[in-house]
Amino acid sequence: MKWVTWQNIGVDRMASIWLIRRWIDPAAEFSFIPVGEKPLSENGEPFDIPGARYSHHGGHCTFHALLKEQNIHDPILKQIAQMVDEADEVPEVSLEPAALGLDLICRGLRRISTDDFEALERGSLIYDALYAQLESDSTPSRPDGK
Amino acid sequence: MSSWLLLHYKLPNKPSALRVYIWRKLKRLGAILLHEAVWVLPDLPRTAEQIQWLAAEIEEMGGNAFYWRATSLLSIQGDSIVHQFQEQVDTIYSNLLKRLEKSKPDLQEISREYQLALAQDFFHSKLGPLVREKLTAKRGERS
Repeated sequence: MKWVTWQNIGVDRMASIWLIRRWIDPAAEFSFIPVGEKPLSENGEPFDIPGARYSHHGGHCTFHALLKEQNIHDPILKQIAQMVDEADEVPEVSLEPAALGLDLICRGLRRISTDDFEALERGSLIYDALYAQLESDSTPSRPDGK
Repeated sequence: MSSWLLLHYKLPNKPSALRVYIWRKLKRLGAILLHEAVWVLPDLPRTAEQIQWLAAEIEEMGGNAFYWRATSLLSIQGDSIVHQFQEQVDTIYSNLLKRLEKSKPDLQEISREYQLALAQDFFHSKLGPLVREKLTAKRGERS
């Protein structure tokens, strides 16, 4: 399936692209249109563009909308959604101190990448790493070390 | 010349909680309300994104929002807005500095408020680094 978003991806869209590829549509193809431009339906499913189905809703980020609309229930992904919310929105409640760091790294990643395609590849590595570590942290350690 | 983001919007009269919600969100962003009419933020990649999503949220609530990128035709007016932003964040920093002078200040709480202020410190106030310095110096003090 084809997916389309605005150029210059950051924390939410790197996370969303990673989520789409790993959990929703492994054969996903992405294209990037200039910021502010209205996506055409032949460009594919729009995401993280105001008004789209997969976008910010009710003060939550696009990553959150993808989980909800796709009925994905995974506690680690839910935690990542909270991080992306806190990084990308104006949170009243801050539960994930990693959010600000994640936002900085994703912005910097886009800055040092030649285009959005390079940025999305590098961004995927960040979210693979984040998922792996959160998953390992969520497993209670046993006193016998097993 | 500095560029600004302007936002004005209309929300349904009821429920009034929506108005409070949006107002609080704008305050947390560090936006300034000019003449009870137009909200202003410096034009930065981050603030531009935040205004974009806020406007989308207002539309979602059944309201209507316009946002613009603007420059003041009078440079002196731009200066006065910069001054207002500086004053806003300096008030927070001064309060933190005052609390740091007291005995046994709550360093964790002050650090938290410092971080929130930092996100609104668009024009790099001189007081910011001072708060940071004091916080670092206080760390590990056993008085």
